[in-house]
Amino acid sequence: MENMVKLQIDGRDVESPAGINIIEAARLGGIHVPNLCYLRGMKGIGACRLCLVEVEGLKAPVIACNTNVREGMVIRTNTERVSEIRKFVIELILSMHPLDCMTCTKAGICNLQKYAYDFGIKESTFLRKKFGYPADETNPFIKRDPEYCIMCGRCVRVCREQGTKVLDFMGRGIDTKVVTALDRPLQESGCTFCGSCVDVCPVNALLEADRWRKGREWEYERIASVCLMCGGSCDITASIHDGMVCKISAGATEGSSERFVCAYGRFGFDALVSGSRITVPMKRIDGELRETTWEDALEIVAGKLKEAGDQAGFVSVANLMNEDALTLKRLAVDAVKTPHFDTTLSLYADSSSFLESQTAAVDDTDLFLLVGINPCQWKRVLPALDSSLRRRVNRGAGLIVINSSETGIAGIATVNIKGNEASVLKGIVKALFGKGLKGDKKLRDMSDGAEITAEVETAATLIQKARNPLILSSPSLFGASLNVALLKGKAVAVGFEANSRGTALMGLATDGKTYKEMVSGGMKVLYAIGEVPLAKRPDSGFLVVQNAYKTELAQQADIVLPSAATLESSGTVVDSFGRMKHLSCVTVPFGESRVHRDIFISLSGIMGTAIKKPGAAEIKRAVRVRQKLTASPFEKRDDINILPDSISEDINSSVIISSRLAWLRESAKVQAV
Amino acid sequence: MTEVMNEEIHTEEKGKSLKDILTEAEGLECPVQRLGYVIEEFIAGPMCGKCFPCALGTAEARMRINRISSRDSGADASDISVLKRIGLRMMEGSLCKKGKDTGNYIIACLAASGDEFMDHVKGRCFKKQCLSLVVFHIEPELCTVCGKCLEVCRDNAILGEPGSTFLSGYLPFEIRQKRCSRCGACLAVCPSGAISANALEQEITGSKSCF
Repeated sequence: MENMVKLQIDGRDVESPAGINIIEAARLGGIHVPNLCYLRGMKGIGACRLCLVEVEGLKAPVIACNTNVREGMVIRTNTERVSEIRKFVIELILSMHPLDCMTCTKAGICNLQKYAYDFGIKESTFLRKKFGYPADETNPFIKRDPEYCIMCGRCVRVCREQGTKVLDFMGRGIDTKVVTALDRPLQESGCTFCGSCVDVCPVNALLEADRWRKGREWEYERIASVCLMCGGSCDITASIHDGMVCKISAGATEGSSERFVCAYGRFGFDALVSGSRITVPMKRIDGELRETTWEDALEIVAGKLKEAGDQAGFVSVANLMNEDALTLKRLAVDAVKTPHFDTTLSLYADSSSFLESQTAAVDDTDLFLLVGINPCQWKRVLPALDSSLRRRVNRGAGLIVINSSETGIAGIATVNIKGNEASVLKGIVKALFGKGLKGDKKLRDMSDGAEITAEVETAATLIQKARNPLILSSPSLFGASLNVALLKGKAVAVGFEANSRGTALMGLATDGKTYKEMVSGGMKVLYAIGEVPLAKRPDSGFLVVQNAYKTELAQQADIVLPSAATLESSGTVVDSFGRMKHLSCVTVPFGESRVHRDIFISLSGIMGTAIKKPGAAEIKRAVRVRQKLTASPFEKRDDINILPDSISEDINSSVIISSRLAWLRESAKVQAV
Repeated sequence: MTEVMNEEIHTEEKGKSLKDILTEAEGLECPVQRLGYVIEEFIAGPMCGKCFPCALGTAEARMRINRISSRDSGADASDISVLKRIGLRMMEGSLCKKGKDTGNYIIACLAASGDEFMDHVKGRCFKKQCLSLVVFHIEPELCTVCGKCLEVCRDNAILGEPGSTFLSGYLPFEIRQKRCSRCGACLAVCPSGAISANALEQEITGSKSCF
């Protein structure tokens, strides 16, 4: 258990864990200590001096962001002395800040505005200062306006901590300016447009580029949801105005290393209302797709499915929500009575590895083993994992990278072991046994004869010393990774799609033909759900495509059913770390599109087998699968060794080409020339 | 906190230290000039510029001192009170000792020479170092019309024609005040000591005939 300390803040008795700073302790006691430069989770730098508080027994005020609580402290956060300093600082900042709150987009969440109001500063007594810096508006994602900058450095620190290191300070004192290298536009400076800087900017200096006159902050309704574009399953907060998504920001707890959304998740929402959405059901008449009604389309599909029976096959992406996945399985098993239903998960994983995958909390982990995965923010391959690992390492965690090829993240690794992952893991297990760790005899026998190199030895020592080691494994290497976790720590199979683990838990894994077999042809009816990575129509009798966007495959289908896109339906997913995440419906489905599970239920209704909408309890029960973990052979599954790079691009290509994300590719082309 | 302080002192210690600057400033007689010099050098040198009271406060102080030491800037007593406020808050709020010391210096300076600051606000610098508040004047009786001042005046502010002293008919030189930038070059070259610098107020009341 953590040690608790008792202290008094503004006359209130507060009990807080030892080792946290005064700002956090005060927050626990319901007291807000003003601050502009403090960022939860990071070390305080004490630049803004707003968080100065007086501690009994100390002559000078101390900064609350970088002073840890001690037993018996008596703190006053609001004395005249510190209030004077706060007013002084706010007035100074106001004297160099454009005072256009009436039209400023950040009005309402601007900290400067808040404090000016709190301290009752109508206007600054200081002389007006102007700089005349130009704004960087050359990209469709982030607008940078140094005119508004108050030099708190939050953006610089957040960018540095997550490893992108695009922004830095130039100049000193009042001439300080936050710049990219050589003050070039963002796209020329290695920026990934993740927008973490936008989230932390307390003023209007960093802003989503399209936000101007799209609703004020206080008009927004904020809804928590989850991004389903890659295996990161990042928490997001969507801001809604007039039924439209206006902004998406990171939704994970403030201070968590997982508070991140990449450019795809943050700026891809344009696609929701783009021209590439399918709005009405369509059927092929005389070789051409024509609009039709839902009744007609469902009638045809139900008829075809019934006719095909076990000759029908369902292929789906693995970013379906749990409810959709479970309903789909019921449709296939109970109504259509076919054993052929599979997801893209089978391209890169054995669904049983997700059943054995353990649960873990990233922020409590002090040592990570990254086995066979190469996350990269710049290529947007599991970008959230990359950023959160870099943050955890910057906050003191260890990282062991085990990969047979070069990885970018190896640059920050404590130990980087390049070589066959399976044999390295075998070596680690043997070394751990050598260090006296207790384990299965079978495992001990299996690790016999492994080679223990110096690197493996160091890695094993680190694992032995770590409090909570966590193995993040590619699904193709999960068996071998789990063997290490049997001795110490936990192992998690990292899914490449948002609900890989959830779909596996819901049992959406074939009893008959696999995904690969089905798409290679031979099915009487093939029913494709979501943006399955197929450009060419598989050789099947009848093709149903149920998707939110007009993909190439949809254009070749016999029936196209418009489904709700992400953010348009509610449900749950299970992320790679085993946490159940709830998605709220953010906007109504576009046009006539319907939620996946409703379509499945209607279909089975027409076919005469009523299936139920799965309830929360059923989902919970399905998720609670506990497998007995046993040692498995040290091997790399070459049959499912697909890298996440291609899959995440493929299942999101519609969103990318029909939103401003398309600009990223264009810009990359220009940069290359 | 101490950790941060040490780090910053360590990384930014190059060029003049605050102590050097304060010693150098002693050479300036006018307290406004002295304070201005300290602030200017502090910003250019030892200031790390990371914490707001110091980084933004000194910039404001510099602007206020410029107002106080300039003619027709609209300076008033509020400039002095703002300086005092900056000094006090820097003393209490700055991150490191350098900032606190500079704040302290502002306060000490104002306390020791408050009256002189007030004189400046009224447009007078009796130490004649705030050039904007000084008037240059050629004493007609002493002027030998040698023309040396004419040669060095970069503002073309001196009116007159050089000539030989034994020939009568030459008028003594005069300074066109509107052009004069009070650079002091003429003062340095005048062989007969005819040019003098006076505080603005004195000049106006003393010899109006000059204008």
